[in-house]
Amino acid sequence: MLRLYLWIYLLFLYAPIVVIGMFSFHSSASLVFPFEGWSLRWYVQIFDSETFRSSLYNSLLVASLSSLATTVLGATVALALIRMKGKVREAVATLCAAPIALPGLFLGIALLSAFAQMGLNRSLLTVTIAHTLYALPFFVATLRSRIDYFDPSLEEAARDLGASPIQAFRMVTLPILRPSLIGAAILVFALSFDELIITVFVSGNDTTLPMMVWSMMRRTVDPTINAASMVAFTLSLIVIVAAGAAFWLQQRAKTSYRTSPTGVDAHEPSDRATEERAQVVRPLQGLE
Amino acid sequence: MGLNIAQRQTVLSSVLAAPSMAFMLVFFVFPCLLLLLYSFWTARSFVIDPTFNLDNYARTLTAAGFWRTGFTGLNNGLWTAIVSVVLSFPAAYYIVYRARGNAAFYLILLSWFSSYLVRVYAWRTILGTNGLINSTLMQWGLIRQPLEFLLFSPFASVITLVHIMFPFALLLLVSALRDVKQDYLDAARDLGATRTQVLLRVIIPMAYKGIVSAFMFTFILAAGDYITPQLLGGRDGVTNGLLIANQFRSAGNWPLGAAMAFITLGLFIGIYLVFTQLLRALRLAPGLRFHEQEHKPC
Repeated sequence: MLRLYLWIYLLFLYAPIVVIGMFSFHSSASLVFPFEGWSLRWYVQIFDSETFRSSLYNSLLVASLSSLATTVLGATVALALIRMKGKVREAVATLCAAPIALPGLFLGIALLSAFAQMGLNRSLLTVTIAHTLYALPFFVATLRSRIDYFDPSLEEAARDLGASPIQAFRMVTLPILRPSLIGAAILVFALSFDELIITVFVSGNDTTLPMMVWSMMRRTVDPTINAASMVAFTLSLIVIVAAGAAFWLQQRAKTSYRTSPTGVDAHEPSDRATEERAQVVRPLQGLE
Repeated sequence: MGLNIAQRQTVLSSVLAAPSMAFMLVFFVFPCLLLLLYSFWTARSFVIDPTFNLDNYARTLTAAGFWRTGFTGLNNGLWTAIVSVVLSFPAAYYIVYRARGNAAFYLILLSWFSSYLVRVYAWRTILGTNGLINSTLMQWGLIRQPLEFLLFSPFASVITLVHIMFPFALLLLVSALRDVKQDYLDAARDLGATRTQVLLRVIIPMAYKGIVSAFMFTFILAAGDYITPQLLGGRDGVTNGLLIANQFRSAGNWPLGAAMAFITLGLFIGIYLVFTQLLRALRLAPGLRFHEQEHKPC
């Protein structure tokens, strides 16, 4: 019973996407069955469009810049959280998680007012700032279990064995955090690439891909929208699958350590601590 | 340096936390406070007049249009949240306790990354007057006229929002259920609990936090979404999110929009309190249960 239910659940999730995918290759402009045949004409048409190419470029640029910015901010704050205790830690963690609890609309209008007040003109820079703000809570949440179970005494042990602070960071802390950092950075890229609700308020003349698709959707029903959305979908898919593969390979190469790329973790804190210790031993052996 | 290890750790952690804290202060705390300030100001012909007054709140609270659209927004949010959580729960249950691998879980998460707009657009294609459902039903001769209520109605908004929220709700539920170990369920069964009792008295109370957060996140995201209702909701589907958005786009009244946003936020908090109290009343929340069970052995 439950198994069947899961299949229906998956069907509901994927059927609409499959339909759009199919009609993006449709040889006629009709969006209804019967399906008349396959063609690439809508893709040719969309890639011929200057607006499409520039908004695709803008989206890739913004997603790269905001995942870079989020990784720098998120990683430093994660390293700080590892060392913090009590109320301060609580306050820092809460502030970093807070934007997640607010609707995107609210963040969008608040940022719009702030940018206007600061005299910052709306451009791809303001979009990047907005996406960084939107994604940072997701980034920190993904790292959360790593941060909570990270044992600072591992670093101290490395220091006792004669490692400099930088060596301790490079050989102990970073290897533990790296898989999560990479996963979180990719997640941010995907979130930014798809973000529309906040972007609407903070973008200037340069549009992003979702902005462009949105304005097309408001104007007409046009088969090129199918193609444009499929390009967006495929790109997110490639990024995610690549991240998943990289993550998986790294995990396999390192140890038998198993974590899901989503931050959801099947391990007990105690298991985790032991495994992390085990993981640390190897690089330390080369220190002497 | 004459600092001991503990002091050095404090300095280091402050330095490390500084960039993100500065970022959050400038681009989160400041904008929110500014928006709050705006809501007490007035805008006259594009010039903002910074004198404190409550006109915007009074105007919003007395406008029938705001309440009607606000109701549509809350309605969208509540239906989406209820349907997403209730229908995702069995799937999450299967993934955590029955499934052998994680393939289904990853497949569901993967669909989370299919663009938001793609899904809105897909549902528009499916539900439209000449859409898949109508044209198929007409070809089969089941209906003569296209069913108009499918598209441009709150129904269209909710089904699309549910589709968008499913993976998100599932992710939160799965991570909540992973904390409820199989051992607890086995123990409850050994002690004579029925399947229903295990579900209601062990699983749901233990996964309470995850269920509440799944409900609230889907509710907030769906109720605050103004793009789906705009594209699919039709005339009856206008939500106050769209009303607020319009105040901030084109030549709108920012202070009025800010006041509307804060009132809406207040409504969201109200919903949260009602929802958690409701779970308490239904005895699905943890706490106090130990004592109650002394009187009602199962």
